[in-house]
Amino acid sequence: MKRRDFIKSTAAASSALFIPATIAGGETAPASLVARVSGESPYDITNKAIELVGGMRKFIAKGDVVMVKPNIGWNRTVEQGACTNPEVVKAVIEQVMNAGAKEVIVMDHTCHKSADTYRRSGIEEVAKNLGADVRHADDNRLVIHDFKGERIPRWPVYRDFLDVDKFINVPILKHHGSAGLTIGMKNLYGILGGVRGKLHRSMGASIADLARGFKTDLTVVDAYRVMKRNGPVGGRLSDVELKKTVLASANIFEVDMVSVDVFGETPERFEFIQEGIKRNLGIGDLSKINVKTAAV
Amino acid sequence: MTKRTGRLWQRLRISSQVLFTALFFYLLIRTGQSATETFTFSDYFFYFDPLLLLLNLIATHKVMPLFLLSLIPLVLTLVLGRFFCGWVCPMGAIQQLFTRLFRKSNREKQVSRTLLKMKYIILILVVVFALMGTHLGGWLDPFSLLTRSTATVISPAVNHTLEQTLKGGAGETGIVAGSLKPVYQLARDHVITEKQRAFAQSLLIGAIFLAIILLNMARRRFFCNYLCPLGALYGLVAKFSLFNFKVDDSCKACNLCAKNCTYAGSPYQDYLKSECLVCFNCTTDCPHGSILARFLPPKRENRTKIDLGRRKLVGSIVSGVFAASLPRIAPASIRKTHPFTRPPGSVSEKEFLEKCIRCGECIQVCPTNLLQPALTEAGWDGIWTPILNPATGYCEFECHKCTQVCPTEAIARISLEEKKKFKIGTAVIDRDRCYTYADGYNCAVCEEHCPVPDKAIRFREVPVWNFEGRLVTVKQIYVIPDLCIGCGICENVCPRSDAPGIINTAEEEQREFSY
Repeated sequence: MKRRDFIKSTAAASSALFIPATIAGGETAPASLVARVSGESPYDITNKAIELVGGMRKFIAKGDVVMVKPNIGWNRTVEQGACTNPEVVKAVIEQVMNAGAKEVIVMDHTCHKSADTYRRSGIEEVAKNLGADVRHADDNRLVIHDFKGERIPRWPVYRDFLDVDKFINVPILKHHGSAGLTIGMKNLYGILGGVRGKLHRSMGASIADLARGFKTDLTVVDAYRVMKRNGPVGGRLSDVELKKTVLASANIFEVDMVSVDVFGETPERFEFIQEGIKRNLGIGDLSKINVKTAAV
Repeated sequence: MTKRTGRLWQRLRISSQVLFTALFFYLLIRTGQSATETFTFSDYFFYFDPLLLLLNLIATHKVMPLFLLSLIPLVLTLVLGRFFCGWVCPMGAIQQLFTRLFRKSNREKQVSRTLLKMKYIILILVVVFALMGTHLGGWLDPFSLLTRSTATVISPAVNHTLEQTLKGGAGETGIVAGSLKPVYQLARDHVITEKQRAFAQSLLIGAIFLAIILLNMARRRFFCNYLCPLGALYGLVAKFSLFNFKVDDSCKACNLCAKNCTYAGSPYQDYLKSECLVCFNCTTDCPHGSILARFLPPKRENRTKIDLGRRKLVGSIVSGVFAASLPRIAPASIRKTHPFTRPPGSVSEKEFLEKCIRCGECIQVCPTNLLQPALTEAGWDGIWTPILNPATGYCEFECHKCTQVCPTEAIARISLEEKKKFKIGTAVIDRDRCYTYADGYNCAVCEEHCPVPDKAIRFREVPVWNFEGRLVTVKQIYVIPDLCIGCGICENVCPRSDAPGIINTAEEEQREFSY
């Protein structure tokens, strides 16, 4: 309820202040700062990246109920690079707990059967060991959420994602057939129910609509093992390249921009980036984004 | 034997029934429906089934080594009589339970001696059918029947009922939902499947199972006495068994021993070694302790015998030979195309129909609800054999569970690596439906899900006249048949609402479709 009320009230407040809708969006874009950390240990570089963007306490208040949403879409192993690295997820959950969160929930609406993806990705084990609440998508818990988007006006969302105080997006960077790449914004598909395939018709616009209509408090991108081809499901180890990088930012759009650079592409090539620029989700020029780089 | 001793034996028998039934369901549940679970022992009960040993020997002329385990209960039967039916069989235990529950309806009813012959006729028919290449043993084989009913009816129905009754707990708001929440959560975590499973034949298989249960109202252990071909096989052997019940001189001829006898016989006047399930009910009912349990060398019984007689024997064989040809003269057996695909690892169709016992083990373990019991898709004798239905599921790339549990190796035991390369069929695009052809806009959900590392589904940018009449560039999908393994996930995820734009077909399937 809290998040939905918040989204409603911000929307109401911004329209009351006659701020142009494009700027207000669903959310105002937070101050840009993207951490880009490389190093041998996915766990260490995740901690460093969070530290560089101001530390977890900046994002999490004591007593918060926090959703950590990795990409757990596919029944693939860590080495195949289709799901978020469990070490990255582990670091995020630990940090959230240390920041005083009351409860941490880990969940994704998966493409393959979640009982398998949760287990094979290694995320279930890591999250349960830390005492997080690992939930499976339950269609009884779908509610219609108003994204106020062009392509996605209203769409069913699992209420687990709405009924929390903070939402931390923990995607993996990888190739994606129809979107080009999947990073933070595309990872929000995982909060949706219904026939998500219908959104592929104009994928870039759908992705940008999601990023605008749903508030993300922090995005931590796993770019440790990066699937370069045949995504998003992959499977062949030769398609996976070690980039040994983790990125973090409060701005989901800008962290996606920088991640495209990590992948070795130019952001402007991708429709979802173009659509994001149109929606004013953040700085649309890679050279102007405030990036803090570090190596551990 | 005193009443006390009798009761002790009876309790032992009930404990044994509970134990084996629990073991049966434990193996089924433990084997589960997750692709990542490596425990697959739900097929083990089948190896102790001599009927299946016999039928597979006839149909395939080969002895499957594991099935030699079924000689153990068969040899034991020579000593102990039909102990298997009374002490071990989980289907028998369920019949016994309902016979007990329905005792008010079935107590006064005689068990017809003529009708007892029915199961022997069924056994003959099943054997004759197997000789003619049609495998119907699984229709009434107790393990096949129970596994199939559990997979397609009992387990999904329990799941649905639980989910419907507890659904309120998902909402978390309101007093009812709030108090239901912990129960709902518990059920969610441990009992209810992620997605409700659904099966094409639930209604038919469910009706048959329900009927078998309810028939216990009409007669005690109806299924075991009249229908079970495995029981018939054990009955034939038990005729020569050492064990038997007898009354001693203290017998007052009250015939109370027939009161709870499974076939309403009695050691006093109507004892049939072939029908006695060694349940010890008679010993608890005898007020005088006159019943003796003895091991004596087989000697001719001078009481009523279950004997078919030559006419019936020949009659049933001849009619079986005739009837067995009926499904084989239907178009399904000569057509060159077929509208279904079989699980990965399946042997050629002719061999498949001979080996498959329609037990539904593969259907039970399939993690995605892809496998469905056929009705007539695979011909009349293909009823309840597994076929793929991508509308309900897809073949999980990282899973080969169905190949690990098939008791008769109609689905060969292939490794996960072999299975990943096994060509179930080929996806074919319906260009009148696929969005990238018919409507002229991007979609490629199928391409995204294609699990083959090289991608059997790809797209190319093509100018297409779209639904608005404009010439646009569309990422149009295409299938590379040589790479496609026919897993059906493309058809499963196709977002089109009327019918999928890409269909999994038997085209180029690896196994031979040869009769």
